[in-house]
Amino acid sequence: MSSALWPEYLVVIGVMVTMLTVIFSQKSGIGAYFVALAALIASGIVSIVEWSSPNLPVFLFDHGVMVDAFSLVVNGLVLLAAAGALLIGWNDRRYGSDFPVLVLLALLGMMVLGLADNFIALFIGIELLSLPLYILAASRGTQVSGEAGLKYLLLGAFSSGILLFGLALLYGASGTMVISHLVPSHLVLPLAAGGLGLTLVGLVFKLGIVPFHMWVPDVYEGSPLPVTSYMAFGTKVGAAAILMRFLFFGFSLSSGWWGPAVGYLAVLTMIVGNLLALAQKDLKRLLAYSGIANAGYLLVGIASHNIQGARALLFYLLAYGLAVLAVFAIMTFVAQDRDSVSVNDLTGLYRRSPWLAGFLAIALLSLAGIPLTGGFVGKVYLLQAAWFANQPGLALGLVVGAMIGLAAYVRPLQRAFSAPDGAVLEPIPWPWAGSIVLIVAVIGTIGLGVYPTPIVHIVNQSAAFYWLH
Amino acid sequence: MFLVWLLAVPLAGAIAALIAPNRAAKGVAAITSIVALIGYAGLLFINRSSVNVPWIPQWGIRFHLVADGLSLFLLGLSVVLFVVAIVASNRDLGRPYYFWLLFLEFSVAGLFVAVDLFVFYVFWEVLLVPVFFLLTGWSGEKGKKAAMKWLIMNLAGSFFMLIGIVALAVIHHQDGAGFTFEISKLSGMAMAPGIGSWLFLAFLVAFAIKAPLWPLHGWMPDTYRESPAPLTALIAGVLSKAGIYGILRVMIPIFMPQFREYQTLLLIIATLGLLYGAFLALRQTDMKMVTSYGSLSHMSMMALGIFSLTRAGLLGTTYYMVAHGLMVGGLFLVLGLLEHRTGTRSLRDMAGLNHSAPRLAFYFLFFVLGVLGLPGLPGFAGEYMIIQGLITSHFLVFALIAGFVLVVAAWYMIRVFQAVMQGPAKSSAIRDLMTRHVVWLVPLAGLVILIGVWPAGITSHATPSLYHAMHFVGQGGGVRL
Repeated sequence: MSSALWPEYLVVIGVMVTMLTVIFSQKSGIGAYFVALAALIASGIVSIVEWSSPNLPVFLFDHGVMVDAFSLVVNGLVLLAAAGALLIGWNDRRYGSDFPVLVLLALLGMMVLGLADNFIALFIGIELLSLPLYILAASRGTQVSGEAGLKYLLLGAFSSGILLFGLALLYGASGTMVISHLVPSHLVLPLAAGGLGLTLVGLVFKLGIVPFHMWVPDVYEGSPLPVTSYMAFGTKVGAAAILMRFLFFGFSLSSGWWGPAVGYLAVLTMIVGNLLALAQKDLKRLLAYSGIANAGYLLVGIASHNIQGARALLFYLLAYGLAVLAVFAIMTFVAQDRDSVSVNDLTGLYRRSPWLAGFLAIALLSLAGIPLTGGFVGKVYLLQAAWFANQPGLALGLVVGAMIGLAAYVRPLQRAFSAPDGAVLEPIPWPWAGSIVLIVAVIGTIGLGVYPTPIVHIVNQSAAFYWLH
Repeated sequence: MFLVWLLAVPLAGAIAALIAPNRAAKGVAAITSIVALIGYAGLLFINRSSVNVPWIPQWGIRFHLVADGLSLFLLGLSVVLFVVAIVASNRDLGRPYYFWLLFLEFSVAGLFVAVDLFVFYVFWEVLLVPVFFLLTGWSGEKGKKAAMKWLIMNLAGSFFMLIGIVALAVIHHQDGAGFTFEISKLSGMAMAPGIGSWLFLAFLVAFAIKAPLWPLHGWMPDTYRESPAPLTALIAGVLSKAGIYGILRVMIPIFMPQFREYQTLLLIIATLGLLYGAFLALRQTDMKMVTSYGSLSHMSMMALGIFSLTRAGLLGTTYYMVAHGLMVGGLFLVLGLLEHRTGTRSLRDMAGLNHSAPRLAFYFLFFVLGVLGLPGLPGFAGEYMIIQGLITSHFLVFALIAGFVLVVAAWYMIRVFQAVMQGPAKSSAIRDLMTRHVVWLVPLAGLVILIGVWPAGITSHATPSLYHAMHFVGQGGGVRL
């Protein structure tokens, strides 16, 4: 047992204890939530301590996984996502008593994706991430929820198959399973090109990139709110991390193979995602399309293929995730017993709960990229990456996408700040667990926008790959 | 020190106004704006030391604030107009209204003193948000649509500028000169001609939308029509100047070769805007819209001054921005008072109001004459300098057209005054101004007269700063004296 993997071990222990807690206290399952939260916090603390330790990177299991500063930052991000989902769905029995267990299991998958240096670890990570999410998507038990779960399962399994096929081809072409041992000049070309293409498709499917995005809105709409927030934040972190590991570590020398393709996908995704977001009436679907568009922004960091891109990707993930957590926390407050919120439900939110409306404004403006919020600094970082890569097209695509997206985010905002037509005016209760998420996310969003220096420092330290400049 | 005061006081006041009870919000806001005014007096008379602290050191971004001749009086204009706008607002508008007003003051103050492009951009975009919410919550029936137009059009321009800003910094970095967003360091940088022109366009579009300059004024009619009078006064008086100020502050030092290259084209566009605004103003029957289109025409006049690329033109624009801001702000507020009393803005429904409201008629006439450029009032000095600049740069045609538009301006402004105030009274009598209106109208009018008879008070400060900005332009492509 290597000490470098303690964040993951703690989550594994957390999974087991949570499971036992669920089994032995069927009636009052609140204990499981506390155990899961404790595991998250412990794992987070260990990750932070490890981040500042000097003996990184560590290769384990014969290059099966590598622990470096990058993987630890990914740990931090997915832990945040998991904690957010857990607290938003705190003690909500509609999702079944095994909700915390499944959240932790998916978390483990995301963490493995941050570490993977091997095709097997990559695939395990993807599956470990996906399987619990299939169940979680269907956990509400209603027809829409079940439909979402089934859709996710079928399409997810299909994409896993493609991914596996691609990995097999790559192994055939290179003779190695280790990502960082792939040497492009030694590859058998047609096999390798096919393998790379199929693997890319499998991975961008998880990220929700156009044209592989069809599942996203339906699954987001049908899944319970905390699960949707988890998918919108956590899954994106995991998928973006493994995509970067795979392309930057394995195919850095042959970026001509994938760079243009990823660039075009990025621009396409940003524009299509934001355009479709414009037409949405359901807030969850809006967030789903916004998630697609944001995945496009993340791809800009990857398509830039430079060190700024890697750093911008990490920074943007945090900024995006915080904004998403805030919006989902607010949606849960507003939805109360229901599981969906339409844009119209926000009408008069300002009258019902001024603070909630204000927080919604901050979160949505961050997604739109207005200064003094994290989203703006993240977009500036991505623009820098695109310019450093001499790709003005990416920069242009990003701002055109952001422009369209703005109109989509402003509509719910205007609803929230306009007077209601004499309808319900009772104030909205704030569950304490969700409030923690909301307040942390809002403070974080503002903090990232007003004083991003510490986080910029962390991401600059963490994504410092010597072969990129 | 006083610069920090000018930023911190409105921000703190905004939060205080948000927490204060609804009835006290206006008081809090008024006191805050007056304290900010005192800070400005300190800045003007005691100490103008700049602020320069690192913000995001990894990207070379510094929180660098400077009050020089370009920004000093625009800052003064905004501080004064905010006091007036807050005092002139209704008491019962509620806490958020005053929160957004003070937040707007914070972002405007930051915008006018930032000399780091990143900081400049942050304030530039942040100030759209309070206006958006003010339009959404406190405007006419079509206010929501106006708010949407305002935000999206302005942000569309700004986003292109953001590409430009990042590109400038990255190009500077790739030249081996370090990562910085400082305007003075980015100026005079060699750029490939293609890139230079595109970046020039990106900046120009952003600034032209904010001003607004024809043909990018699409947001203007709705916004001016729907916004409450104090907000209109602020948008027309202060925010529109931000666009012109941006051209002076950012584009003149960085893009002089491009200005030279496209000068004729730019002058033609600005002249078209000048005529467009003036003739549309002549056709309006809504007194607020006359002033709005007149303002559009005057913004083009300022642009003409810059595009003449002469010292007189740039100086005239610098001066005219302040003068026009004070006068048009005052005029919109007076129109607001008038609308409040008559309940209409249509020229057809009003006549002969000077019988029942002589004092109101006096201030109305005062600001009308100021806007149309009566000698002795500041509009004249500004327009004179701009036309002088056009003549110096040998663009006589444009000088002639500008002179002609001055006549049209007199026509449409006097037309409004005549329709509303003179002739036989058409409707019932209205209440005249009360002391609480006069307390802010008199100082505003006094200020207008002061800078009207003493333009050198502004130009003598602006000249060194302009030289400073132009100095970076360097060899060959400078500004004609």
